[in-house]
Amino acid sequence: MNRALIIVAFACFAASAIAADDPKQRQDLQAVIALQGKPCGEVVSYQSQGDNDFVATCKDGNRYRVYVKEGRVVVEKK
Amino acid sequence: MNTALPFTFCAGALCLAACTTSSAPPPPPQIAEVQKPSHPAEAPKPSQPAEAPHSTAKPKTEAAPPKPAPAAAAAKPAPTPAPSKAAVTPPRAPSQAAPAPAPVPAAAPAKAPLDLKSLEQRLKDTDAIGVLTKLSLKNQVDDLIARFRAYHQGVQPPTLPQLRPNFELLVMKVLSLLQDKDPGLARDISASREAIWGVLADKSKLAQYT
Repeated sequence: MNRALIIVAFACFAASAIAADDPKQRQDLQAVIALQGKPCGEVVSYQSQGDNDFVATCKDGNRYRVYVKEGRVVVEKK
Repeated sequence: MNTALPFTFCAGALCLAACTTSSAPPPPPQIAEVQKPSHPAEAPKPSQPAEAPHSTAKPKTEAAPPKPAPAAAAAKPAPTPAPSKAAVTPPRAPSQAAPAPAPVPAAAPAKAPLDLKSLEQRLKDTDAIGVLTKLSLKNQVDDLIARFRAYHQGVQPPTLPQLRPNFELLVMKVLSLLQDKDPGLARDISASREAIWGVLADKSKLAQYT
């Protein structure tokens, strides 16, 4: 029983952490990073870490955490 | 700050293209009508009317001249019985002048009305920009508006000429995001650029949107 619960919990966590591939979301993140004037070029993948919290990986190798804090979009280099 | 302001500011530009096109057509007809009445008034004197048509005919193209010319020619002969030679010459002049009335070039495009509310709503509704991008744009618009407010309150470091590049850059960002997926909105925002600037640069106008 416990083992099953652990597996389910792990699956849920993995699903949220695994790189998502929604083209619209990728473009959204790419636009946000560009609006902040950060070098990126193109977002090739991203991971969702929660609600409005993403880690985007750029084609040039840069990685940024994009999240919303107090109504503002924050882009942090990782 | 209002949440609407950012979008209204960014948006600032809309539905103007349509307005300009609709306003263009009316002018021509008015000009043509004005010219027609002038001819009858001059008609009494044969020599003068003939010259007037020439001047008007040259600038314009050949299209609907036939109608006005006959009317002028018929009116001239009747009033002046004596000058038969003069009456003969006038008809030619009208025929040449006739082309003038028809081809009235389109008047300069009128300034489109600024509908910030509509622009704001269209920006909110458009699918061309993602949610995070919209929020990021809103943040930047809020920041810029705050700088304009500071300027209007007397904080001079950022003067109006210094704020202009920031405004232009932000508009360009919005346009670059919209131009491919929502060209209509991009066009309208671009057309409203000066109007939006007018609102931001005017303390009283800016206060109306807060």
